[in-house]
Amino acid sequence: MRRGICLLICLTYVTALERINNQLVNKNVERSIDLTSQLVKISSAITLENTGKDSVRSFLVALEPNAVDISYINVKDSLKDDLKILPAKVDGAKDGVFYNIMLKQPVDAGRSTTVILEVVLTKRLEPYPSSITQKDKQLVRYFGNHYFYSPYVTTKQKTEVLLSSRSVENYTKLKPVAQSDSTITYGPYTNIQPFTVDEMMVHFENNSPFLTVTRLERIIEISHWGNIAIEEHIEIRHTGAQLKGPFSRYDYQRDTGSTHHSIKAYRTILPASAHSIYYRDSNGNISTSTVRPRKEWIELELRPRFPLFGGWKSSYVLGYSVPSYQYLFKKPSGEYVLTMRLIDHVFDDMFVEELETSIILPVGVSSVKIDTPYEVERLPDEVTYKYLDNLGRSVIKLRKTDLVEQHIQDFEITYDWKPQLLLHEPLSCLLEE
Amino acid sequence: MVQAGSKKSPISKINSKAGISSLIIFVVLLLAWIAGFASRLFAVIRFESIIHEFDPWFNYRATAYMVKHGFYNFLNWFDERAWYPLGRIVGGTVYPGLMLTSGSIHYILHLLHINVHIRDICVFLAPVFSGLTAISTYFLTKELWSAGAGLFAACFIAIVPGYISRSVAGSYDNEGIAIFALQFTYFLWIKSVKTGSVFWAVAASLSYFYMVSAWGGYVFIINLIPLHVFVLLLMGRYSNRLFTSYTTFYILGLIFSMQIPLVGFQPIRTSEHMAAAGVFALMFAVGILRYLQNMMTKSEFKSLVIFGGLASAGVVFLAVVILTYAGYVAPWSGRFYSLWDTGYAKIHIPIIASVSEHQPTTWFSFFFDLHVLVATFPAGLWYVIKNINDERVFVVLYALSAVYFAGVMVRLMLTLTPVVCILSGIAFSGLLELFLREDDVYHNEDSEEEEHSTPSKRLYDKLPKEAKSKLKSGKSVGNVKTPTPQVVGRVQKMKHEQSKESDGIGPNIRSVVTVVILLLLMLFAVHCTWVTSNAYSSPSIVLASYGSDGSRQILDDFREAYFWLSQNTDDDARVMSCFSNSCCIRVGLRLSNSRNGRNRTTLVDNNTWNNSHIALVGKAMSSNETAAYEIMTALDVDYVLVIFGGVIGYSGDDINKFLWMVRIAEGEHPKDIRESDYFTEHGEFRVDSEGSPTLLNCLMYKLSYYRFGELKLDYRTPAGFDRTRNAVIGNKDFQLTYLEEAYTTEHWLVRVYRVKKPDEFNRPRIPVANRVVKSPSFVSKKSTKRKKGFHKE
Repeated sequence: MRRGICLLICLTYVTALERINNQLVNKNVERSIDLTSQLVKISSAITLENTGKDSVRSFLVALEPNAVDISYINVKDSLKDDLKILPAKVDGAKDGVFYNIMLKQPVDAGRSTTVILEVVLTKRLEPYPSSITQKDKQLVRYFGNHYFYSPYVTTKQKTEVLLSSRSVENYTKLKPVAQSDSTITYGPYTNIQPFTVDEMMVHFENNSPFLTVTRLERIIEISHWGNIAIEEHIEIRHTGAQLKGPFSRYDYQRDTGSTHHSIKAYRTILPASAHSIYYRDSNGNISTSTVRPRKEWIELELRPRFPLFGGWKSSYVLGYSVPSYQYLFKKPSGEYVLTMRLIDHVFDDMFVEELETSIILPVGVSSVKIDTPYEVERLPDEVTYKYLDNLGRSVIKLRKTDLVEQHIQDFEITYDWKPQLLLHEPLSCLLEE
Repeated sequence: MVQAGSKKSPISKINSKAGISSLIIFVVLLLAWIAGFASRLFAVIRFESIIHEFDPWFNYRATAYMVKHGFYNFLNWFDERAWYPLGRIVGGTVYPGLMLTSGSIHYILHLLHINVHIRDICVFLAPVFSGLTAISTYFLTKELWSAGAGLFAACFIAIVPGYISRSVAGSYDNEGIAIFALQFTYFLWIKSVKTGSVFWAVAASLSYFYMVSAWGGYVFIINLIPLHVFVLLLMGRYSNRLFTSYTTFYILGLIFSMQIPLVGFQPIRTSEHMAAAGVFALMFAVGILRYLQNMMTKSEFKSLVIFGGLASAGVVFLAVVILTYAGYVAPWSGRFYSLWDTGYAKIHIPIIASVSEHQPTTWFSFFFDLHVLVATFPAGLWYVIKNINDERVFVVLYALSAVYFAGVMVRLMLTLTPVVCILSGIAFSGLLELFLREDDVYHNEDSEEEEHSTPSKRLYDKLPKEAKSKLKSGKSVGNVKTPTPQVVGRVQKMKHEQSKESDGIGPNIRSVVTVVILLLLMLFAVHCTWVTSNAYSSPSIVLASYGSDGSRQILDDFREAYFWLSQNTDDDARVMSCFSNSCCIRVGLRLSNSRNGRNRTTLVDNNTWNNSHIALVGKAMSSNETAAYEIMTALDVDYVLVIFGGVIGYSGDDINKFLWMVRIAEGEHPKDIRESDYFTEHGEFRVDSEGSPTLLNCLMYKLSYYRFGELKLDYRTPAGFDRTRNAVIGNKDFQLTYLEEAYTTEHWLVRVYRVKKPDEFNRPRIPVANRVVKSPSFVSKKSTKRKKGFHKE
């Protein structure tokens, strides 16, 4: 609910035009671009200085005009508290994506503050060459900006690019620049004007799994008998370099090295209380999976039926149950609250193109309220019939595109429900017989 | 439960006796059902709830389609992807009874909001129906002999391997429900013959209708029942009851059977159904004669019978012959001929002979499938012949014909099993009746106590317990009800009955015989469980191997390959694969993915009637790569799929079945393919360096062994050692020009190749001016190994 209102506010804010406060200066920016996985994770520590006379309550963050594939953005202050982010339109600025960040403590004139900006971009690593044979290594290119893109003047900045391997084919050399092991350091550069762009390119070997979940359907079914069943229908695709030519099982069996661009298996993390886990597809059970209970979670090693090469896809269903006492609570006012993850872990550094979460509520719920951690699209509600169920249960459907690991957050559903309805199904069963 | 029955006894003696006996019958049948159901679940427990082989996969797919799209859409379903490029009208080429049965179960359950997935219904349909089969067998045997024999028969059929082989959980095939329909039809038929009531005859024809909708084996019914009637007429047992029941049954059955799209006009146009029509006519002739007999003198009548009989027989025969020649009545089909001449199929229709279940039965499999029943069923037959009456004539004919057919084809073991169970039930019941006759109440109570003192054991060794309860029930039922057959039986041979009474058997002999019988039954139960567990409960799409430490490894290569095909080939990709029955699981699996809307076109699957098409595929597989490429282009093939068991030692692979492919190809293309080319000079079929060059260079060989020559399986064997055929392959280093390996599963069991497009293997033409001559320092790369052993085309 809180977030819902926040969304409304967002919309109203968008229409209001922001102005760029020229009094703000990026005194120091330390940026790190993490290219070790299939995602581009940029984290920048910005020291903002207020050189003006008025205290400042908010500042702007800008992203390059081509940064349309931004999946996640977050700003923290020096106390690691999340700051409020609002999309913004800026008066007279060039095209680009702007966010208005609300500071918790206003920055007085002459003072400075440090914030940490975290951005996750997807689909920014381009396999080059785009198709390779089974034996080749997978090379990717990253195109970025040498400078920190900002509406303010940047006094000093430094960038570290973290790569997944030492073998770098090529990279742009805007001096000063240095490469050591799998890290390229750009800078320090000084006194960069606002909105400066200078293309950075890194071409390097990246054999980490380029696995995209093209569609994830997550179904959460609540039973007040004490169980919550979760089923995920997952379609995955290897989105790295395409496989060119034949696939040879002989070569594949001989090549036992761990760094290969094909994907043999990956790990999924489930809640520690998960039980009755199943892993199957339209042909039945997939016999190649291992469950390893850890202290805090359950680790599931999933092997698709076949190793995934570039362009190959697969699909499966993963289901499990959790006891409801960990997720379903009763408020003193008599309402029930379900707190669960909108999306859960599929594999490390995952990228989900499309998510559809359905929540199947018990029979006879009323006044359903939903509260999501971030903006999601709510699809029309549906009604479904489960075992011995003649009233039907309402299904809440939510949809969102472009998700990454950082989106694993809880949502809340509040509803009214009468405990007598628990007996509805056994009773109807008796009546029918 | 038994206690409850015995508590009643003080109230009324007659009531309690009848109550106990019906209670025992109920309990035994229930237990038979449960035992039958439970023993069919090995595969589900060991693996998963999964459909097993090709045909079941196809049926399952059709059922899923019907559930999704409705019955009428199913009837009109034209599957353009099967049997490419012909397509298949599914609704008109299947027996819809199976799909309708599971579809309606699914519908009813969903009406009650029991959301069982259609797959689970399909998997458990056959085990559930085995219980129904047991019950209808009970009723049939009860009509034929006595309730006690019926209980025996029901228990036998519940666990006999010959029937389990076709009805384990997951084998979702027509036979699963057809045996029930078969037994039930026979029961209703016997009932109608006994009573002469139109009601039972109509019920029989309805049941026959269900049978027709379920299985092609209905032909067995429509020939056996007329045969029964015919023999009864010959024996001079004509009666109005027979007349009523047969005429009603035949007419209604005929009309009903023609409602099934696949059967259509066959009942009046094919020779297989002519016997029934002939008997129908004969029935009327006899009826008329009987009527005339009342009005004529004896001598007049005699001459009329002789003349009339001869003339009418001649007319009927001529009519059939003429109609056959004129094309109104189709002659017998090839499969039918192969029932009379076992060598027929091998010569004329290799495609049918290639199916392993169409081979003649070995003695071993009789024992394997029936165990002690093989020995006891002649005894039952003897009992029945000794006490012959109208309906027992039927079971005699049933037994004789089923024995013959089971001997001809392994598959027809299935029709023999029920009658063996019935007759063995009669034999056991007769024996025990004899040996327990003078054992009265004392013994009865004794065994009853024994029964409920060990109720927990019941689940484990099912049969002995049931056998015991049967024992009692057979006896007590026999005591209560005077044996029904005698009441209605026509010609009673009381001599035997009476002589039995006078037999004095000592208590020692009695107990020894009883113990021996019980032991036999126990052994039978053990054997049944063992066979079911070891032979009939493995889904052939999942293989399991056991390591030296007893750990189980699952080889899931088939599903791996089909899932790969379904996910990673184009939607309209066409896959060529071999045809023979058991390896067509592959196609089924691929088709199963149609749920995702992404099934692949199959070139040849279980399509055993489209011979020339199969021959073309066989020819492609038997030719060398270049010739095969032409055929594959003509057939518009995108992928080729072979099964190769050389890595894990799987004997059902394509190389082992390859000769059938060659034979079929030779049948249609004798100029290009000759079976003798694939043998060595000594007439052996070998894949090692001694093998015939034609074999070592044909497409099948190359696809199976591509890059296998480099693979070293373990340290003891040389590279390229084929575990299935225990030989080092003969042609090791070769490249494929027109195909490329697209996918090979983890244990190399399924290999998929992609057919290259012309521009992929033809080098682009370089203009003369641009051609560069290679430097003269050319060194031959041929090693000594490579120099030898290439066959030149």
